[in-house]
Amino acid sequence: MIEKRNKTHMEDVIINAVQNGPEVDPPADLTCRIMGRLHPKRPSLWIRLRMWFLRPWVVTVRPVTAIPAMTLAVALLVLGFVAVREPVEKGAPELASVRFVLHDAGMHARNVSVVGSFNHWRAERSVMWYSPKAKAWILEAQLPPGDHEYLFLVNGTQFVPDPNAPMTSDDGFGHRNSIVFVNGTNEQAL
Amino acid sequence: MKDKREAEIIRKILLGDVQAYGVLVREYQRPVYNLMLRMTGDEDTAADLAQDAFVRAYERLASFNQRRRFFPWLYTLALNVARDWGRREGRDRHVFVEDAAVLVREQDRLDEPKAVNDRLDGAKAFAAVMELDSKYREALILRYRHDFSMQEIAETLGIGISAAKMRLSRGLDMVRQQFDGGAND
Repeated sequence: MIEKRNKTHMEDVIINAVQNGPEVDPPADLTCRIMGRLHPKRPSLWIRLRMWFLRPWVVTVRPVTAIPAMTLAVALLVLGFVAVREPVEKGAPELASVRFVLHDAGMHARNVSVVGSFNHWRAERSVMWYSPKAKAWILEAQLPPGDHEYLFLVNGTQFVPDPNAPMTSDDGFGHRNSIVFVNGTNEQAL
Repeated sequence: MKDKREAEIIRKILLGDVQAYGVLVREYQRPVYNLMLRMTGDEDTAADLAQDAFVRAYERLASFNQRRRFFPWLYTLALNVARDWGRREGRDRHVFVEDAAVLVREQDRLDEPKAVNDRLDGAKAFAAVMELDSKYREALILRYRHDFSMQEIAETLGIGISAAKMRLSRGLDMVRQQFDGGAND
């Protein structure tokens, strides 16, 4: 509990530092230098038309016309709602049981977590436990249907893709995330 | 209200009032200049690149979607100007690796005595954020300094929302672990 509080406190300090950290003033003549490089442009017909459509409009409403119009609009809405209403409402999607496994025969890691899109990449939400029998770190999680990106976080510092994951994806900055696809209520093991 | 005012300014610029652009320059020159300074580490280069970014934004203003916020669009252009400069200068080095052991950069690894002895305060935290790789640093700055939504961060950095969340999470973890050594994980 204390560790969790410390972690939250440290994150608050970091976020506060980013919010209020010092910034450097730009050179005093920067605006002039920028404005000096700009050339006035004659708007094309297309731009003038677009601006004409996008300009703020003033709408005047008079009760004499507004009341019948609103009555009609409400009647149409009610009719539309009745026409398209589903006979049976669907409940929340069913969760499927997924088993994450990271083999570690010599128990070289001190701790391992699963971080992924399903837990907002927060390590503390999905800590794995070590099974001496399986010689592996294991975690069972309940996930909604769909594809989920994830990684193993080893010793709190190393992000390790799942060597047994059937699919991976580029995370956008040169690393690979593993992907698990959950297709319903069947139990899945990784 | 600010977005409405900006939409009106952009409308004037597109209709030929070039001087109206000065309002936007004065409003955003500070964050754009500081972005360039973080990316280049040199004041003169930062000023030149900030100019380039604003000029590019002016030239492409007709493609700006006026239903969106102007600043994230400008920031995306500015970041591209900085990246182009980085490529020209040979500073854009992406390492594609499959080996998990090299996923953690050497400088991010824990220095045990430092972690035990150091206490985290605002100045140290800010210095540590500035030392992060730009992809983590910019994500943190966009979220916590400029209040970008996750969608805006993802679009600005050209990545998915999951990847944007991961950058924030990793960025915070990297800074935190420099001070607690991962003891609070």
